Amino acid sequence: MLGNILVNALMNAGVYAMLAVGFSLMFGVARIINLAHTAFYMVAGYCIFYLVSTAGLPLPLAILISIVAVVVLAVVVYRLLIDPMREHETTVLILTIALALVLQEAMLLWFGGYFRSVPAATAGYATILGVRVSFQYLLTLGVLAGALVAVWLVLMKTKLGLAIRATAQDREIAEVMGMDESRTATLTVAIASALAGLAGAIVAPLYILEPRMWLNPLTIVLAIAVLGGLGSLKGSLFGAAIIALAESLVVFLVPQGAFLKGAFSLGIMILVLLIRPEGLFGVAFEEER
Amino acid sequence: MPEAPETLGAHEALLEVKGLSVRYDTAVLLNDVTLRVDAGETVGLVGPNGAGKTTLLRTVAGLVHWEREKKRGTRAGNIVIEGQVVFGGQRIDRLPPHGIARLGLVLVPERRRPFRELSVLDNLRAGAYLVRDPKEVTRALETVYGLFPILRERGGQLSGTLSGGEQQMLAIGRALMTRPRLLCIDEPSTGLSPRVRREVLAKIKDIGRTGITILLVEQDVSLAFALTTRNYILSHSRVVAEGTSEELMADERLRQRYLGVAGTA
Amino acid sequence: MTVVRYLNWLWREFKGEILVLPGRSILFFGAVALLALPLVFRHPYALRILTMASIFAIFAASWDLISGVVGQLSLGHAIFFGTAAYTSALLNLNAGLPPVVTIPLGALAAVVAGLAVGIPCLRLKGQYLSLATLAFPIILAGLVMVFSSVTGGELGVSGVTRLAPTRLKEYYVAVVAAIVLILAVWKITDSKVGIIFHAIREDEVAARASGINTPLYKVLAFCLSGLFAGLAGGLYAHYMRIAGPSTLSVLTSFQPIIWVIFGGIATIYGAVVGVFVLFPLVEVLRVAPELRMLLYAASIVLVLRFMPEGLAPWVIDRLERKCPRCKEHNAFTRRACRVCGTALRVPQEKGVPSGG
Repeated sequence: MLGNILVNALMNAGVYAMLAVGFSLMFGVARIINLAHTAFYMVAGYCIFYLVSTAGLPLPLAILISIVAVVVLAVVVYRLLIDPMREHETTVLILTIALALVLQEAMLLWFGGYFRSVPAATAGYATILGVRVSFQYLLTLGVLAGALVAVWLVLMKTKLGLAIRATAQDREIAEVMGMDESRTATLTVAIASALAGLAGAIVAPLYILEPRMWLNPLTIVLAIAVLGGLGSLKGSLFGAAIIALAESLVVFLVPQGAFLKGAFSLGIMILVLLIRPEGLFGVAFEEER
Repeated sequence: MPEAPETLGAHEALLEVKGLSVRYDTAVLLNDVTLRVDAGETVGLVGPNGAGKTTLLRTVAGLVHWEREKKRGTRAGNIVIEGQVVFGGQRIDRLPPHGIARLGLVLVPERRRPFRELSVLDNLRAGAYLVRDPKEVTRALETVYGLFPILRERGGQLSGTLSGGEQQMLAIGRALMTRPRLLCIDEPSTGLSPRVRREVLAKIKDIGRTGITILLVEQDVSLAFALTTRNYILSHSRVVAEGTSEELMADERLRQRYLGVAGTA
Repeated sequence: MTVVRYLNWLWREFKGEILVLPGRSILFFGAVALLALPLVFRHPYALRILTMASIFAIFAASWDLISGVVGQLSLGHAIFFGTAAYTSALLNLNAGLPPVVTIPLGALAAVVAGLAVGIPCLRLKGQYLSLATLAFPIILAGLVMVFSSVTGGELGVSGVTRLAPTRLKEYYVAVVAAIVLILAVWKITDSKVGIIFHAIREDEVAARASGINTPLYKVLAFCLSGLFAGLAGGLYAHYMRIAGPSTLSVLTSFQPIIWVIFGGIATIYGAVVGVFVLFPLVEVLRVAPELRMLLYAASIVLVLRFMPEGLAPWVIDRLERKCPRCKEHNAFTRRACRVCGTALRVPQEKGVPSGG
């Protein structure tokens, strides 16, 4: 039982971390709450489905194309619609809601409302901690971990990463030091959507695709972002782990737990908002002090 | 590396502010301000609280224009900027702050504002963002360490945990990493003990001696006048006086009204 | 007063209050048209669309009240709608109560929900408040699924009594309810309480500083908003004859947002315009799915880009003008303000600066 819980939690933690890190980055750097973030994750999943099942492309190529498609879509929408309105926080929230709904409708239109699935890349199982774990699962977990490490490296070791971290803390002074805040924000959106796209593309074989699949992860990502601290990456990782584990416990141990998953995460979110709104590692924006 | 490396002779205006007025909604923050800073000078900007000194530096650095562009159309967006700011012969009042930094004008902001969650070293590296050549960056780093050895010691420490004086040195060091032509320093002595104040201002004097032009806003008039060649007094958003430190201190009326100093330090 | 005197008074009121402004006239005649429509046109599908639009208009107006007027952006408005829908349906099925009883009771339950949401949210501001509101309906939805023996789980509560014996009567119930309730909401925003609501949105700190008990009024706003949303929810449950988890869904929460932003936020009449333009549009375009999505997206995007205040205010701006001195609206044809007599500027060409 414990093994099942851990295995289940680990995969979810990986996906949630990918989504939450990107979401947190966008809030911390571009200062937007992007409610369409998980919709991009969904679009990537459908892209993979189309490219692999219908167009018959090899998996690595399909993954690459899906990610690129999602990044291009996200950056274009951001530059054209969201960037000009960034100071109108309410309008941005609503724009992203509208965007998510449009993407949902688009998926519904092109793929129908039926549940779709993507074939796995590998077959076969291993047994870990007494639980049968597919190689697909291990492969996916590996890719997710690798992506998170790559993000960490970019943030800590590159100039762009430095600009991102500086802008996230104090965008005025980052500008004064010569960092183009608008460009940094756009690149952050690109990175965040690339993470969402990668998550969607590689996780697709393990989950089921349907046009409303973006709703559940959205609420969970929000809960994680708030728990970990809006804008904090450490917080996103810790938050993802905690929420994924808590969810797993609820699903396996609480009767009817599957229905309570979302409610539980959001309950945590509300508690955090009321008791300690900055979350575990939250950072207040310098220019607002 | 700053662009436009035209060398200006001494006594040529590096920075010229002409008839600058800034209004936030109905509040007038700057009213027809005109001043200039020549290459190589250290110019002081003093005056009572709320006179507009910080607003002036922020406007020169491009932050007010940037804020206006961002907030266009929102309820808080009624910001008006009139007049001109000319740097190195080029108008900069419509440029974004990062463009102005690229030209060699850098701000050391009020309250220091280090990137709190970044280490000292990362803060300095952030300052060197515009510098392409890694060797240049290392050289700049050595220069800054030479001025402020404490920063080398505390390299890995989170800048938010430094003392006030150390943060001020970091802020100045960070700005120096951009290889500036003009350094605008906003109230470096705030919140510092008298001993640390003297230390910091002595360092600023050293920086001035290396040829970097400085525009210094200061509350502590006696300390400032010891460094500066020429000064402006700002009060209620206007320039009310201009002169050398000696001239201004000699004027009884000015001293009592704006400088709050009962005699030379 | 004699009947004739009363009719005279009514006519003068009508001319003075409604006909005097194009915007109000449009709304008035729109309402009249809705009421009179079945006399000429009885297509059941059209009636159904308009009935649902009326119910949703109440829901949208309730959202505008809390989010637009008071400035507490609610991303989880479905909590009120769904709470009332389920309460009405369950009371109807289990206690055999008729709609005229269950709907107010359902609304009452929604008011309680308003307390449950409003009080915790007092400590939150801006985006954090909105995120919190998002959570409540989802939590409730989870509980609904867990207690499916009572709530019917995924399938919901069905077999609810009809709103009225005939389709036509249901139509009138919905339309009349919409007219009355939305007028009530509008009256609230136009009253002393409304002024306080506006003040809270403009600058809560300043309002607090001038002695207004802002927490009380914020909770009041949530309760009022909940009341009207609840009435809509109850009507919905009886009209659809079912109350299911969709009434608590994120999509149900997001719909009024789209409608009101499109129609014009913080105006109340914008909510009506938004629903009555977008809802029938979406329904009618069901026959051409590609077009539907494209139009839906395009209309939202275009409105937000070029009419950022919403469709209704954009239209009003072209039909009416504000007096520079007394701020009262006047028809664009007038030369002098009808209230204070100040000369109204002739429309200027574009590019002429108007100061600031």
